[in-house]
Amino acid sequence: MTMSPTFISSQYLANSLVLPVTQAQAALTTAMTEESTGQYADLGLQLGDQSGYELSLKEQVQQLQTLTSGNSLVSTNLSTAQNALSAMSSSAQSTLNDLIAWTPSANSGASLQTMGQSALQGLIASANATSGDQYVFGGVNSSVAPMADYYSTPTSAAKTAVDNAFQTAFGVLPTDPAAASITSGQMQAFLSGPFAALFSGSNWTSDWSSASSANTTAEIAPGQTVATSTNANHLAFSELAQAYTMLSEFGGSELSASAQQAVTSAATSLMTQGQASLTDTQTTLGATQSAVTNANSSMSAQLTLLQKQLDSLDNVDQNATAAQISSLTNQIQMAYELTARLQQLNLAQYLPVP
Amino acid sequence: MSLSAAFNIISSSFAANAGQTAVVSNNIANANTPGYSREIANVVTNSYGGADVASVTRVANAALAEQVSTSTAEAAAQQAISNGLATLAATVDDSASASSASGATQNGASPSAMLANLQSALTTYEDSPTSSSAADAAVTAAKNLATSLNSGAAAVDQVREQADQDMASSVATINSLLDQFTAANNSVVTGLATGANVASAEDTRDSLVTQLAQQIGVTTTTAANGSMSIYTDSGVTLFQDAPRTVDFTATPTLVDGVSGSPVTVDGVPITGSNSPMPIQSGALAGYAALRDTLAPQYEDQLDQIAGGLINAFAESDQSATPTLPSLPGLFTTSGATSLPSMSATTGLAAAIEVNPNADPSQGGNATLLRDGGISSPGNQTYTYNSTGAASYTGRLQQLVGAIGATQSFDPSAGLGASANLSDYANASVSWIQAENQQASNASSYQNALVTQASSALSNATGVNLDAEMTNMLNLENSYASSAKLLTTVNSMFSALLAAA
Repeated sequence: MTMSPTFISSQYLANSLVLPVTQAQAALTTAMTEESTGQYADLGLQLGDQSGYELSLKEQVQQLQTLTSGNSLVSTNLSTAQNALSAMSSSAQSTLNDLIAWTPSANSGASLQTMGQSALQGLIASANATSGDQYVFGGVNSSVAPMADYYSTPTSAAKTAVDNAFQTAFGVLPTDPAAASITSGQMQAFLSGPFAALFSGSNWTSDWSSASSANTTAEIAPGQTVATSTNANHLAFSELAQAYTMLSEFGGSELSASAQQAVTSAATSLMTQGQASLTDTQTTLGATQSAVTNANSSMSAQLTLLQKQLDSLDNVDQNATAAQISSLTNQIQMAYELTARLQQLNLAQYLPVP
Repeated sequence: MSLSAAFNIISSSFAANAGQTAVVSNNIANANTPGYSREIANVVTNSYGGADVASVTRVANAALAEQVSTSTAEAAAQQAISNGLATLAATVDDSASASSASGATQNGASPSAMLANLQSALTTYEDSPTSSSAADAAVTAAKNLATSLNSGAAAVDQVREQADQDMASSVATINSLLDQFTAANNSVVTGLATGANVASAEDTRDSLVTQLAQQIGVTTTTAANGSMSIYTDSGVTLFQDAPRTVDFTATPTLVDGVSGSPVTVDGVPITGSNSPMPIQSGALAGYAALRDTLAPQYEDQLDQIAGGLINAFAESDQSATPTLPSLPGLFTTSGATSLPSMSATTGLAAAIEVNPNADPSQGGNATLLRDGGISSPGNQTYTYNSTGAASYTGRLQQLVGAIGATQSFDPSAGLGASANLSDYANASVSWIQAENQQASNASSYQNALVTQASSALSNATGVNLDAEMTNMLNLENSYASSAKLLTTVNSMFSALLAAA
């Protein structure tokens, strides 16, 4: 009756398969979840101290996605601005063409005036272009129309300032017949002096433009912040406005032909300058546009990489899981079979009943 | 030898047979009783040549029993820790958001994910600063972050309170087991002194020790008189001739910074940092570690995140020559008038909230997020967008930058002294998940050890039905032989009497 080394207690024998079956069933549940989702059933438990790393990858993905979707908004704003600048540029070009064709002998002053007025109105309309609820040339002050209507009623501050300047220089208004006595030299001096001053510095920002000189900025890629607009305080706007106002105010006036010539030549040179400035602006915005495109494509490449890294952390090998499921199922079936057989392994079954 | 002597021997044979049958029956009856040790009848030749059951030996294996109780205690401790940590880890479980490619927001509830969502919302707001819906979305993201920290802190408090209650019921169980042990131990000691069969009492005593090991790690020694003494795994006496008093006062509400009371044995604390001999294993040790060390450390980390947030979103004096102190901006605590110190952040995670001045649902103005002045609306000193420009993004850029800017943290929270907010929040998730993983692995491992040790013990001391059946057959045969002998001797007597 001594215990042999191979002694097995019946209780142990009977229960020996319970634990493996329970464990296999738990593993089967996990494996089936993983098979259906393709990811670890309990990611936190699986990753442990790598959880933070995994989260930081997800955050990077999220950041890049946010920036990419924000960039589409930036692109829209930039395109709107580019379109408006192109419109200004072509309007300036056609006005310039008309002006070159205009001669005091063949054409009337009224046609000069019309030319200037329609160009100025076009300029103001383009400058007040909107994208969504933002005025694209407003700088950061995007909620207010950047250029006031020159021809508004009551008389705009800009028009009042022009009239006052003319009155101060010559003692008469441009519509006064007495203005005919103004010489070409006097006119030139007025245009480059008091009149030009109306379109620069604080006169421009108080009478003409409500835009902020600070451009809007946006983060287009992690750590890359760029100016995403230009504003109506840019030289292009004041130069063109100055040229158009000149034509509109002094073209149809009672001025002498030589004075009119001075006006048209000043306007021509201003428009040429204005066009060059416009091209500058367009180039700047174009550079930003291409920066956005580049940022998008590099972020898209980064997203692909990050996603790969995330997948390698989160995802299970579904083939391996499928194999695991089938082997676990086999194991459980075998355990059931064995349990049934073990029940038969009992001496009492084989002893004859006395 | 006389025929009557033969009768005596036969009668002793029947007695011995009955004794052995009783032992076999007892073994078979208890074949499936956990913790039952099989018994062996020791048969000796008596003075007149017959057989007697001299004693019944209980097959015990002290070494294996000790292993079972040690591994049971370890498994119970790890299980308790693992359960608590799993509750905490669930608050940062973002596996639901694993399909991260699908959108720019994460579905998880962790402060880390909420912080990332806030950063996204701020970046989106930065791209369309005139949009009031983007402003509202950013404030909502901020509220979600505050809520996530609040609920994280609440989960920690709940885990600690649960652990405290578990400690109370564990101590009650220990005291009740010790009382039962007293009775069983007394029967063993008296039984041994009087020569009675103490096997059943010893079984009871061993089973009580295993049950005790579930609650508290124990070691045992047995004195010459058979009396067993129980000590905690740290060496404090729990039972020696009489049970010692295990005391514990439950603390119903355990908010951040409040520590629960220790468990004492005869007035000596056996849990907590003030204990000279802290217990190492058993569920009680697990609950104590959860309540006093692990959960508070996690709460410290949440508090640090909350403190870091309030500081990162603080608003400074925007005057040309700043003189006034910075004030809590988007994130604050109710009634706060100054920024919190990072070395005193206790309770911040539970108290952090979005400043009502910026919260449209509380009558605030979400665009203050863009313009500044959340701390005191209308006060130019703290207004960043002094001209009120609609597309001003300077402040928003600062805020996004502040989330990614390195700042100081209290190293006592265990996550280093400097990091940016995102990394710190991620590190906290890593910490809790790593602790959870470790406890879960340790728990599985210890449970496997318990199974192994129990199997070994069961094999060493348990009952094999086949062996008992074989014994039974032997006894049947021996009974039949004795009966045959009795008949033979009887017929010899009859022949003798007939001859006389």
